[in-house]
Amino acid sequence: MKNTLRQVFRPGKFLAGFIIFAFILLLTVLYPLFNPGDPLAMIGLNNFTKPGTYVSVYDSLNVNRTFVFKLPDAAEKRIGSKLFPEDRETIKDYLTRLGLPEDSIDIDDTHDLMALWWNNYDPANQIGKTIAERRAYTALDNKLAGIFVSEDLEVLQYDPGTDEYVRKKMVTENDYVNVGDVANTIWLPLGTDNFGADMLKKLVSAIGTSLLIGLIAGVVATMIGLLLGLLAGYLGGIADDVIMFFTNLFTVIPGFILLILISYSIDQSRRGATTVAIVIGLTSWVWTTRSVRAQVISLRNRDHVNLSKLSGHSLPRIVVGDILPYIASYVVMAFILQISSAILAEAGLSMLGLGPKTTDTATLGLVMEWSIMKSAAHISGAWWAYYPVIIVIALISFSLNLMNTGLDQIFNPQLRD
Amino acid sequence: MKTKRLLALALVSVMLFAFMAACGGGDTSPEDSNPPGENTPSSNDTSAPPPSADSGDTTDIPRNEALYFNGFQWGPSVGWNAFSSNMNNPLAFEQTADGARLPMMETPYMYNFLDNKMYPLLADGGVDGYSFNADRTELTYTLKSAAKWNDGSAVTAHDAAFTWEASVNYLPDGYANWTPYIADVVAADDSTVVIKAVVENGKPVNANMMIQYLGERYILNKAWLEALIDRNGGDKDSIANDKGQDCVYSGAYGPFFMDDNKVILTRNDSYWGQDASMWGKLPAPKYIGNVLYESNAAGDSVFVVGEVDVSQNYIENSYKMWTEQGLPVSTYLADAPYHIAANMPTAYFNMNSPKVGLDDPIVRKAIAISVDYDMILANAMTNQSPSFKDVPRSLMNPSAAEQAMYNKADVAALQWVGNDIDGANAMLDAAGYAIGDSGYREKDGEKLSYKVSCPTGWSDWEAAMYVVAAAGEKIGIEMETYFTDWSVYQVTMTSASQTEFDIFMFSTQGNAPAQPYSRIRALLSSEFNNLDNNWTGNFGQYSNSEVDDILKLIPQETDAAKLREYYTKLVEIYLTEVPSFSLMYRPEKFHTVNESVWTGFTSSDDGRNVPPNNSISGYGIADLYNLTLVG
Amino acid sequence: MKGYRKYFTRKILWFLITLVSAVILNFILPRLMPGDPIASIVSKIGGAGSNNPAATQAMYEHYQNAFGLDKPVIQQFFIYVKNLLRGDFGLSFSRYPIPVSEVIGNALPWTIGLQFPAIIVGWFLGNILGALAAYIRKGFDKVLMPAMLFLGGVPAFGMAIILLVIFGIGLQWFPFQGGYPPGMIPHMSWKFFAGIISHYHLPFWSIVLISVGGQSLGMRSMSIYELNADYVKYSRYMGIKDRKIVGYVFRNAMLPQITGLALSIGTMISGAMVAEIVFSYPGLGTTLLQGIRENDYPLISASTFIITLMVLTTVFILDIIYGLIDPRIKASQYE
Repeated sequence: MKNTLRQVFRPGKFLAGFIIFAFILLLTVLYPLFNPGDPLAMIGLNNFTKPGTYVSVYDSLNVNRTFVFKLPDAAEKRIGSKLFPEDRETIKDYLTRLGLPEDSIDIDDTHDLMALWWNNYDPANQIGKTIAERRAYTALDNKLAGIFVSEDLEVLQYDPGTDEYVRKKMVTENDYVNVGDVANTIWLPLGTDNFGADMLKKLVSAIGTSLLIGLIAGVVATMIGLLLGLLAGYLGGIADDVIMFFTNLFTVIPGFILLILISYSIDQSRRGATTVAIVIGLTSWVWTTRSVRAQVISLRNRDHVNLSKLSGHSLPRIVVGDILPYIASYVVMAFILQISSAILAEAGLSMLGLGPKTTDTATLGLVMEWSIMKSAAHISGAWWAYYPVIIVIALISFSLNLMNTGLDQIFNPQLRD
Repeated sequence: MKTKRLLALALVSVMLFAFMAACGGGDTSPEDSNPPGENTPSSNDTSAPPPSADSGDTTDIPRNEALYFNGFQWGPSVGWNAFSSNMNNPLAFEQTADGARLPMMETPYMYNFLDNKMYPLLADGGVDGYSFNADRTELTYTLKSAAKWNDGSAVTAHDAAFTWEASVNYLPDGYANWTPYIADVVAADDSTVVIKAVVENGKPVNANMMIQYLGERYILNKAWLEALIDRNGGDKDSIANDKGQDCVYSGAYGPFFMDDNKVILTRNDSYWGQDASMWGKLPAPKYIGNVLYESNAAGDSVFVVGEVDVSQNYIENSYKMWTEQGLPVSTYLADAPYHIAANMPTAYFNMNSPKVGLDDPIVRKAIAISVDYDMILANAMTNQSPSFKDVPRSLMNPSAAEQAMYNKADVAALQWVGNDIDGANAMLDAAGYAIGDSGYREKDGEKLSYKVSCPTGWSDWEAAMYVVAAAGEKIGIEMETYFTDWSVYQVTMTSASQTEFDIFMFSTQGNAPAQPYSRIRALLSSEFNNLDNNWTGNFGQYSNSEVDDILKLIPQETDAAKLREYYTKLVEIYLTEVPSFSLMYRPEKFHTVNESVWTGFTSSDDGRNVPPNNSISGYGIADLYNLTLVG
Repeated sequence: MKGYRKYFTRKILWFLITLVSAVILNFILPRLMPGDPIASIVSKIGGAGSNNPAATQAMYEHYQNAFGLDKPVIQQFFIYVKNLLRGDFGLSFSRYPIPVSEVIGNALPWTIGLQFPAIIVGWFLGNILGALAAYIRKGFDKVLMPAMLFLGGVPAFGMAIILLVIFGIGLQWFPFQGGYPPGMIPHMSWKFFAGIISHYHLPFWSIVLISVGGQSLGMRSMSIYELNADYVKYSRYMGIKDRKIVGYVFRNAMLPQITGLALSIGTMISGAMVAEIVFSYPGLGTTLLQGIRENDYPLISASTFIITLMVLTTVFILDIIYGLIDPRIKASQYE
């Protein structure tokens, strides 16, 4: 036993897969400790906010300790944050369409360019053929208003007692606060999803649920497959015929179709993650049954089995003592594959709108469904809403398959290098 | 050496099979919709009638001659029979209260939901140019002398009259939506049509429905209808299933092509509307097409690359398309809420529910005032409709015309803006709903616990109901979200005695000439109680005799001040009793356009007063005459 | 010869019994789904927003009668079987009044056109790569195997979406929705073929890439297994040329792979579903899913029947061929 374990964990495919898998598993356990709370909570009033750190404007104005820094490029950056290179092109474009000679416009000279824009832009005289173009000019003009202004800002606070706004403080362009002093900031490494929920938090919770689904489905499918395969293979005869009949029947109606039909029959409100897992398990035992049966058939006439039979051992004892140990490694490998295919099956089901119900838990499939099918994140450019989840599914599946291949090499010496 | 060989083999096989793959696709695909060797567009029996002379051989429509739509339909279309409701061909036919689809069939008037007026199409005269007799029991309009069918014959009053007659006699439902209001449509002479109201106590049951009829129902060709009825032996079923290849139409576009993936109409260059009495010219696109996509997301993806010009889909955060992605996309309004909201998706309280508390207006109102509507607006609508802060809730939709119909000040004290947890708790405490052992509020030892429902997969609705459930939990009421598949949901919702849903969601009626009356009736009238398959309204089975009485008075009242008084009273009852409460405002038409190919679509700042109605419905079809190519 | 006859009779008997059971299941399964097909239709054609609930109720009863859903289920089943024997699948509910056979007839060629080449190409590429990996080992294998494992683990939806985002929306190399250009009317011409092919790329590669992953791993294992087999070592001692041995090895390794190929051709419809949905490809997968969404019993039953028939026939033919070429299999039935 010790030897086998040592062999299994020898550097190689299994270990690589195991490390990746363990890392993912650890993430689902540890991340909620750092970032507790309901992963589905809608924290944002805007959906698909991009990844980054968000700082409360209110609180940063309220921080008592301010510092003064005079950075040489501060003003330039401030302008740059409003006037993008493509805006300069747009302005030049507008001006040339107005009839200004092209060589009189220097897009690198910010002050000159803006002066030209303000002198020439006329909201009443709409250049631009399309609505979109005209509106883009208006939006640009609004955005650039006051771009050079560096005068102090006055902060007023509303006083409900007197119904007046009272000056709170003045803010100059050189005032800074330490982010650590700001009472409220939120770090969203993967932004928010369509509900305005913390995407990373939701993703981590989804990984946990999906792994559980894989585990339950894997156990169900493997148990059924093992039991039926053992019975069919060992008993033969009528039992074999009947079991093989059902096995064939379920081969003929493709598992995924069956899965869709059954999932659809269970109304969504009753479709919890566990139910979906069990349904997946119930539709994917076929191949395990077939292979176990084949192996048992080849085992059942071996000498040690016959000896056991002659010694009058009971059926369960023969099966458990003399057959199972020989197919155990195979069953473990089949089990690993079942887990990975169950996770993929859940993802597929959810994408068709047949996954677990949405409001209780997140699963990887549901995260994908909401991002892609329902909110079209891939069209609005919200990469953080769908790329990570696809990669995570692929990684889980990859690590499990890698472990499986590793085991295969160990248990089938012929596959070794 | 060996490696090289194997690699070569690999390469050859790849190329071979890639080639076979390409041919495989090519071999099998076209046959399913077109027999080989046939050049004219036709697919089994859904073929077009003989195409007009210059479009005969067109198999590849240039992009700059066609205007494409998406989001009109899910399943493939069936045929061209404008008389049948089985055709599922919404590019060509759709008769709705906010303006019928007009490219192929035409109505006497085009409804404009921006100003709530009727613009003449087949009818002669000016805006709202029909006339009523003194007691409003008869509505008269005349047809334009220029109006012609595509076979050259004139559109006459007899066509209008026979369309009514055939609809009553041969539609499967016997025209049940109209017969309660309209007694008959007759031809006074060749060009004068008279619509006779169903009269009660000497007054029309609802004269506004006669106006609505003018912009909702097509005038169909009498000769064609007779042929249709005749060849199907007068059997309602086979009439409805007739594919109507020979459909005679008066609109600017006729059938061109139809298969499982798309429907294309082509311009009839002899269209009567180029007469100076109508448009004075032909519409710009030579073809209009509607392509089917598997999902909204799929449709949106071709919209962003400019394969589709006009999208009817709700696109989440569509403003990002022009603010962040720099795409030539625009909506009717330049800034939020981007669209004209018409609908008010509503949460109904189920009065039949055996659950304790739902029969108490205090509980209903407490739930309603605790809901965070800003959250709903942000997440379910991505701010594409006005908020209840901008337009205080009532039975009216946000349009100026409807908002002017009641006294806002009289009901201001009853209003709420939402997220008022303290207020709701105070109300419930005062009414004696104390927190019990269960951790939730109880009445007589029974906890307040409700199932909150909407169809699963309707993402914006799910988000809204999720917010409702969250609000309930905050005020000590247990809320379980219970989202079911639409196929199940619709059966439960329309059933008279369901007890499965306690708080559930459905939309209301939108813009129409007969609004807000029809919507209010559908929201509050007890005439819909105890009816199975009730798709009309009052799904919560609310009953109030005072409301019923006022609802009877309104349609026959013509005095504006009196009407105002009635409507204000109804709003007051609605805000006090809270039989249901709207969760958000919502546009009926999302009308988002991509100007990669065409421009000249309606926008709020162009002063043309054309409603954003997908450029082919109601007065929105005026867009087609204003389009120009961008390139 | 008697053995063969017994083998075949037995196989045919099983084929028939399975077919009958599958037909029964195909009839029952859709009808177990919740929801009411008629309510869907009624709401679609004017029920929703109707002013008159009584008329809606009348419409409901009308369609219930038209679809024969007012009859007892047993009776419906016998009508279904009777029609099936005549090759009549009935009228589709969701596309009423179009016959199911027409709906499926329009969709099937697209599915076969997409799936068949994709499966073959995926299978060939996979096997070649797998064989190469097994034969060359070392660096090639070290890189290829994990890459293939990763590829095989990408969810089909994810793969399709990534291709769509990168090559469709981003680079705009290929059109990515539908089976042929929206501006084209299907006809026979090279231009139209070119249109079909440009729309073909993304769904095609999304299927191929994933199946390459799985196929190459299978082939790799089988090849390594065979390469290490005793007969190879023995042949080497015998001095048989490497080239010849490699030939034997790969031929033996291919056998199980051919079974896999046959089965994946049989199950192609369910396999294509994802690609069809993401790329709006007008095939049977999308048709079936739409049928399921709208409780279109005849359409679901007919689609699953065709799928069942395809898989069953493939399995049956495989059994027969194996029985003919490999006597061991026949014999194993009687051990």
